[in-house]
Amino acid sequence: MARCFLSLYCPDITCDRLTQLVEWCDRYSPLASQDGRDGIILDITGCTHLFGGEGPLLLDLSRRLHRMGIEAHAAIADSWGIGWALARYGKRFIVHGDAAIAALDPLPVEALRLPVEIVLELRRLGLSTIAAVRKIPRHSLAARFGSTLLWRLDQAFHQAEEPLTPWRPPAPYRASRILGEPISTVPAVEYVLRDLLEKICTKLEKNRLGLRHMDLACYRVDGTMDRCEVRTSKPTRSLPHLMRLFHDRLDTLRSGFGFEAFILSVLDTEAVHPTQFSLLQVNPVENEASFDALVDRLGMKLGFHEVNRIQVCESYLPEHAVEFRPATISAVASAEWPDYRVRPIRMIDPPMSIHVSILIPGGSPVQLLIGRQKHRIIRSEGPERLHAEWWRDHNSRWDTRDYYRIEDDKGFRFWIFRDRSEHWFLHGHFA
Amino acid sequence: MHTHPALHRLRQRISCLEEAQHRFARTIPVAEAVDRSLPHGGLSAGCIHEVKGTSLANAIAFSAILSSRLAGDQGNILYIAPDRSLHPLGLLPYGVKLGQVLHISTRRAQDLAWTVMEALRCPQVSSVIALLNGLDLTESRRLQLAAEASGATGFLLGHAASAPIASPITRWRVSSVFCKSDQGFDEPVWALDLLYCRSGRPGRWILEWRDQRLNSVLTQQVKETPIEALAG
Repeated sequence: MARCFLSLYCPDITCDRLTQLVEWCDRYSPLASQDGRDGIILDITGCTHLFGGEGPLLLDLSRRLHRMGIEAHAAIADSWGIGWALARYGKRFIVHGDAAIAALDPLPVEALRLPVEIVLELRRLGLSTIAAVRKIPRHSLAARFGSTLLWRLDQAFHQAEEPLTPWRPPAPYRASRILGEPISTVPAVEYVLRDLLEKICTKLEKNRLGLRHMDLACYRVDGTMDRCEVRTSKPTRSLPHLMRLFHDRLDTLRSGFGFEAFILSVLDTEAVHPTQFSLLQVNPVENEASFDALVDRLGMKLGFHEVNRIQVCESYLPEHAVEFRPATISAVASAEWPDYRVRPIRMIDPPMSIHVSILIPGGSPVQLLIGRQKHRIIRSEGPERLHAEWWRDHNSRWDTRDYYRIEDDKGFRFWIFRDRSEHWFLHGHFA
Repeated sequence: MHTHPALHRLRQRISCLEEAQHRFARTIPVAEAVDRSLPHGGLSAGCIHEVKGTSLANAIAFSAILSSRLAGDQGNILYIAPDRSLHPLGLLPYGVKLGQVLHISTRRAQDLAWTVMEALRCPQVSSVIALLNGLDLTESRRLQLAAEASGATGFLLGHAASAPIASPITRWRVSSVFCKSDQGFDEPVWALDLLYCRSGRPGRWILEWRDQRLNSVLTQQVKETPIEALAG
């Protein structure tokens, strides 16, 4: 099938603006990528009918960029190389098939995307247009200039593959809506969003999938755009739940001069096992769903890294024995923790430096000084010696520590340790 | 205890009038000695309890014991705090299954109250342990209503010196005591004060945690000290 590429050349554009522009071009095609320091390449194969044809697409794009104040030249062609050449040096803007050869021939050799040395060498030899270069037999060109020139020639006349790496992997499901009049109120945005969500959820239902990650791109009339992302901990297709998750985000959206286009993309999906409900049990499916809905709401508001499950790891070192794993990541088997290794309920991070008096050097502590408070130690258990785990690559260099569990005369219990340099630290409190 | 029949009838009429009565269908046992002071013979589920301690570790441990009894096999325990100072392995001796625990840390103070409210609204949550810094009357009343509606139990923890919250069903204070007998560090001994209990009687007991139960301890073995809070 014939491919179709759109190459955009923006002569005086800054790096940040170019990156923003690549994202903005998502409304034309999800396969967009930055092309050098001053261009963008879009793979519009199969998208052109949505805009009424290649001509109208080009016109629409040029008009919008002009309104945004960006100087740009665009060209549509069958390959990346031809598009690049036409956008910068060409006179015709939509070129297909055999007309490509006729269009490229009169162009200067710089249009082949060659390194500066080769261009200078070609000009020195009197080869200033692509037509002239093509007349030379291939083996001579290879002998004189190496493989770069031939590679670029082949790319231009699509005999060589040139893969495009999009700025983000294309979303498997996508729904878009371009509005005739801009809207700026939250209820109006929610109305459009509900419509798009319904379309996507029906498609997902047909394929028995649920979504985990989606985003809504809102394009304003002045060319700027915003994105709202929603993540869930379990795959879901439930419309009210997703609307609720978007609701908080939409409140913080600034409408500026109004929104004119919305694109809803689903970035991550997972299979959802169809659940069978029983006539006897009252709403068991809803029960599961409501706890997951709670986790999602908490995650969206606080950040998914703050809503965690506890996983016990294979380590005795207190900092590494337990991992707080975000609830969105699927469960992994936890290790068993032995009963005889008693651990405190609260841990202080980083351990607090304290002064300890001992009767015999190397013996158990007798008196504790935490800050200004003195504690007389009645009972102590230990030491529990914990070595660094040489088979692991911990970021902090762990020293050998001797841990003691101590109880003072008032019944307070502490977890303290002595490190190799004979300094004492308070690391936790027991109940 | 011998009650006058008129007094008994009066008590029954009053309890019918209290709208919260029919919600407290479920209670969990705390300890033999303590249950006699609680209405309906146990700690009521589906409401808010305030637990303070001379150190936060005491309060967390006591709430963990009660939460594990509420959660059973299928429930969910939510722990909501402003930081990650909890060491979950310290909860193991108190009967908590770590797979049932969801740990939520809120960096901003205004998110804390919202999180506790959302958690209490969900019927699948069996208990919520939250470290709050004092609540005003309207907020605590709203939490109480949310807990009653969903059946979740809330334990609002605080340091002994912090401001009390308004209108919980019970107020507890857990203090460390020194006990002469040979206790492991996973078998603490506490002085448990029931400072306030709606339609129950306050009291003070010395209890030890052993064999997954809170047992009474003879007071001769215990050296009680005046209540003094530990910083941190």
